[in-house]
Amino acid sequence: MTISRRDLLVGAAAVTAGAAVSVPYFMPRCYFVRRPRRSHVAILRVDEYSERIEEILFRGLQLFHIDVRGRVVVLKPNLVDYIPGRAINTHPLLVLAAAECFRRLGARVVLVAEGPGHQRDTQLVLAETGYRQHLQDQRIRFVDLNRDELVRTPLRASYTGMSHLWLPRTVLQADFLVSMPKVKTHHWSGVTLGMKNMFGVVPGSKYGWPKNILHWRGIQESILDVCATVPVHFVIADAIMAMEGNGPLNGTPRPLDRIVLADDPVAADATCAKLMGFDPDRIIHIREASKFLGNASDELIQQLGETIQRPQVPLQVVPEFQYLRAA
Amino acid sequence: MNDIRAELAAILLNRQLPCGGWAALPGSSQAALEPTALSFLALASGPGRTARDRARQFLLGSQNPNGSWPAFAGDDTDGSWVTSLVLIALRDIVEDTPARLKGFAWLSHSAGKESNWLWKWKFRTTDRHVQFDPDKFGWPWLPGTNSWVVPTASAILAIRGLPCTCGIESIESRQQKGIQMLLDRVCPGGGWNAGNGVVYGVPLAPHPDDTAIALLALNLETQEPAVRRSVEWLERVAPRLLAPWSLAWATLGLAAHGRSVSPLVDTLLHLPELDQIEDTSALALVLLASDCSRGLAAFGVSA
Repeated sequence: MTISRRDLLVGAAAVTAGAAVSVPYFMPRCYFVRRPRRSHVAILRVDEYSERIEEILFRGLQLFHIDVRGRVVVLKPNLVDYIPGRAINTHPLLVLAAAECFRRLGARVVLVAEGPGHQRDTQLVLAETGYRQHLQDQRIRFVDLNRDELVRTPLRASYTGMSHLWLPRTVLQADFLVSMPKVKTHHWSGVTLGMKNMFGVVPGSKYGWPKNILHWRGIQESILDVCATVPVHFVIADAIMAMEGNGPLNGTPRPLDRIVLADDPVAADATCAKLMGFDPDRIIHIREASKFLGNASDELIQQLGETIQRPQVPLQVVPEFQYLRAA
Repeated sequence: MNDIRAELAAILLNRQLPCGGWAALPGSSQAALEPTALSFLALASGPGRTARDRARQFLLGSQNPNGSWPAFAGDDTDGSWVTSLVLIALRDIVEDTPARLKGFAWLSHSAGKESNWLWKWKFRTTDRHVQFDPDKFGWPWLPGTNSWVVPTASAILAIRGLPCTCGIESIESRQQKGIQMLLDRVCPGGGWNAGNGVVYGVPLAPHPDDTAIALLALNLETQEPAVRRSVEWLERVAPRLLAPWSLAWATLGLAAHGRSVSPLVDTLLHLPELDQIEDTSALALVLLASDCSRGLAAFGVSA
């Protein structure tokens, strides 16, 4: 058999093209391991949104070795949009309770900060959800992350292929960042929990409403890059009234009567997923994040509150995510 | 009411940065293009003349080499939707025509990602959860993403300020396509959400500000049923709006369709703590809406 020069050229081109496609797939996508040796989670029973949440939360926080004395604490709730009757946003009473608890624990400053992903008028969302009045009454400062001063920030993982994001100074300068998600199903990402909640730090003034670049770069991939770059120090998840079905906006309220506290966002999300009746290992960003950002396996998570009770009927999801429901 | 306007204008003037631009929030020294363009429009008369001159120099100096404008000073140079806002702001300044033409040339090439044949095919065949016609596309917030309502409506308004095609042959057809896109993506009950009307078979709830901006861009399409439904929807919700940004846009949007907005202006100027508005863009917009005919003229719209 003779190999012509033309055959060689075609072969070389094919090898080059194959390498171009496959090599990035095998390249490492995270450059560090932040996973703690052991993570701590507390599931606490809370039947309703009321003034009682503060005491329950304070007792829950005391289960952890948190030292926020003299530090700037930023609470990042999930505020997306307001539709009457829908459990879309982290309830303001939980956020107020958290602010008061961190003040009691000695925080120098407690801020609430968010950049809603759908509604450009942040003040309208704050007013309609009741946040504005509560924050004024409690003298808690709110920072609109969609309009905060921006800092060019290299990404600390490369799942999306982006080299950097412009991120709000308030978040980057926080001493202690608390993700406060609403526990919901999500029609594009399966679930939206403590890690997905961090999409709210990506500023609309640069990336638009919604932050469509994150969709195009892959939602699961973007969650990983954002969470690798902006460390979440603590999670307080609102699962008192969760959302199932066509979330994050048009789903149905589903009471789970719990809040979930954790010192590791991956452990928090894995626990919340189980409370929803899902298998966390089937949720791409939780599974991938457990390799470098936190712990998802039961052996590495110490439950400080209630034990995990899966619901008899898992939360409803759109058909594309039926596979998340645990067997 | 004139006292309130004067007070708001003074606050706005006071927030101007040494570079001539405005930051999105007070306390920041990072000039951003949206608040700067809106402040420039809001200070068209009165004691703001020097401030406008400085703002104009800032706007011209911020233009990217490719003709676009960045979202803020120091931003990457790919360009963003605020290009349309700056073109609206500079529309009456003859000396700035060369800069504007470069901007329009960039705008004519900027399109939602669904305009590409590959993505068009994807949205027609495999990805049909969002109900829209990918043949009808407009403008994105930033390159490499889909068309959305606000960038598209802003581009339509900007193009209206172009006196001729000026060698940019595609600009008129792009404008028409943008109008078709807005009409395609209206919410079933009227009004616009951020970009789509129906997702997973469920109608989305319209937003007052997105709706009003779309209505400004569609103020010549009064016979369209979608436009009429949207005006009616906005008329219903506007009196209950609690936030200055949405109420100001709603006022302008309804005025653009000939509705009486005096009660809305009165409500707007008596919202509590108007002088505490942090968002500079919202502050400028309240000023524009408080003098509605001038506000509409600033966007090149006649009622």
